[in-house]
Amino acid sequence: MRYFLRVDSGREFELDVEERPGGQCIVKVDGEEIRADFLDVDRLGQYTAIVDHRSFAVSIEEQDPQHLQVNIAGESYTVVAMDEREKAAGEVAGQGPPKAEIIKASMPGVLIDVSVKVGDVLEAGAGVAILEAMKMQNEVVCLHGGVVEEVLVKTGESVDANQPLVRLAPPQED
Amino acid sequence: MSNVPQTPIKRLLIANRGEIAVRIQRSCRDLGIETIAVYSEPDRHALHVRFANEAYALGGKTPAESYLRADRILEIAKEAKADAIHPGFGFLAENGDFAEAVEAAGIRFVGPSPHAMAVMGDKLSARTAMIAAGVPVVPGNTEAVADAVEAAKEAELIGYPVMLKASAGGGGKGIRVVHNPSEIEAAFLTASGEALNAFGDGRMYLEKFLVEPRHIEIQVLGDKHGTVLHFGERECSLQRRHQKLIEEAPSPIIDEETRMQMGNAAVAAAKAVDYFSAGTVEFLWSKGEFFFLEMNTRIQVEHGITEEVYGVDLIAQMIRVAAGEKIDDCTGLVPRGHAIEVRLNAEDPDNQFLPSLGVIGNLRWPGGPGVRIDSGVYRSMEVTPYYDSMLAKLIAYGRDREQARRRMLRVLQELHVGGVKTSAGIALQILQSDGFITGDYDTAYLEKFVAERGKHEVQREIPDDLERIAAIVAALHRQKTAARRVMQSDNTGGAKTNPWVTAARREQHGRISR
Repeated sequence: MRYFLRVDSGREFELDVEERPGGQCIVKVDGEEIRADFLDVDRLGQYTAIVDHRSFAVSIEEQDPQHLQVNIAGESYTVVAMDEREKAAGEVAGQGPPKAEIIKASMPGVLIDVSVKVGDVLEAGAGVAILEAMKMQNEVVCLHGGVVEEVLVKTGESVDANQPLVRLAPPQED
Repeated sequence: MSNVPQTPIKRLLIANRGEIAVRIQRSCRDLGIETIAVYSEPDRHALHVRFANEAYALGGKTPAESYLRADRILEIAKEAKADAIHPGFGFLAENGDFAEAVEAAGIRFVGPSPHAMAVMGDKLSARTAMIAAGVPVVPGNTEAVADAVEAAKEAELIGYPVMLKASAGGGGKGIRVVHNPSEIEAAFLTASGEALNAFGDGRMYLEKFLVEPRHIEIQVLGDKHGTVLHFGERECSLQRRHQKLIEEAPSPIIDEETRMQMGNAAVAAAKAVDYFSAGTVEFLWSKGEFFFLEMNTRIQVEHGITEEVYGVDLIAQMIRVAAGEKIDDCTGLVPRGHAIEVRLNAEDPDNQFLPSLGVIGNLRWPGGPGVRIDSGVYRSMEVTPYYDSMLAKLIAYGRDREQARRRMLRVLQELHVGGVKTSAGIALQILQSDGFITGDYDTAYLEKFVAERGKHEVQREIPDDLERIAAIVAALHRQKTAARRVMQSDNTGGAKTNPWVTAARREQHGRISR
């Protein structure tokens, strides 16, 4: 299977993984063939990888199958990993119509200020509320922007992580 | 002070949580003292509850509803027949009224006297006491200025840049740096207003602003018989917004003579308020001169590195002092070797160090020679917004600075904390930066390092192209999980078709019938 990977520094990789009987893999990258052995250690996120006889204690946190946080030797990398099919589909989806957005609390806390009301037009990245957690105030922002359709919380309310705060309709086309 | 009553401590209540509560419990076990824990609702599973001999619920979630409830904690101490209370740090540790109420109830408070807390807790009274004791202070006022006009006059005398500080201040509130006369009026009004709001006291005074100083502090320990010792310095300049990240002992820039001078000044500072128990005298160091900043009248987070280089258990010493025992006179103690501490905080260095909340889904602790972990963390612990984000303290000890540094690199490479973002990654980079390696850093270094990340020369230990390995590993992970998902979907609706499951069931069935 061919994979397309982008690391947070912007560096991109394209590589082929071939599985051999017994679980060993051959990874083809930059015209090089590398022997690799990769095993799940504890089913909690720790893995062991032997890449061309170099050994790495790896841990991975999976946001979803495509978005991975890969930690090796104290260094942490955010990797977007797509297979061929997803890459093709992703490129098509990127050209589709803008989607409605639901803004959620990034962490549990108390809403100090909910600054939007129904009908407000928000640019991408605009603030919608101030969330206080761990004695610090953080601004909650929208990703794509749009028109506020519903405000689901009010100032002073305690919220859980991922609790929806504000629902936006897609921005109007000019 | 020779007729101090000696009352042995047998049962100690710890009015705290997290790693410091666990740390205190450990010394208690070493001393054969029973421990009593208190806990808030979210802390029912916490390590400090599980490690205690007895545990009492405080109720409530926020600190105000739980660990700050002095009345409730004292009630529990009486009910549990505790003969001492250790407040740890934060919460009630520097609350003189609490200390007084505890002692009035016939229970030993493991900390200094309310008088010492009161004098050192107010910045102006502390400055006045220090000047009287001959301890060098930052040039500036010993009395509050009346208004903005007087502030401007004083600023001219001291010379710009100056710091406007709230007398009752703390936590960075009511503080302004003023670089020229045109800014002083506005700065005075906003800072004074802020202080009035935060502390109910708007009194302001001025100090010379030291440019790029180092933060160096001296550990002291006194008993109730008039002895005060110092245990050398800790270098705490690697901090951001007054939050320390990496500390080391000894400081790479303090020689034996300066250590003696600073140590003597710290002892004089402590003696000026008849100090007993453990305390820390903080100094600003600039171009070979040092000035008293403040005294923290409690055990500090970073006490562990002093313990490593002086071979002392400061918590145990605090308990002995509270019981009325004399500390051994070990004047002339010298540090042996070098210790470095990294604070493992649940925070995101890539996102302005905002707290990172979540469940610690995975955990791999380091170990080996010269490694000490003081922690309250366990796998599946939830990091909540209610308390401080510090999860653990990682301490590396070596015969010299370079060995300690290399051991800390090993610690950070072995460590893994999954589920929340932590300060471990940025600490690893700093420990490999030129500024840290040469010891040439000040209180502005960390902020600058973070802002210019990627530009700094980092001498990485591991030769591999880890970014490329991360990409390879990500692809392998996708390949393997895709294979597993296919297998799982093949098995839907019929685990019985899986020969392994069937075999396992057969075996189990066989065992039962036998």
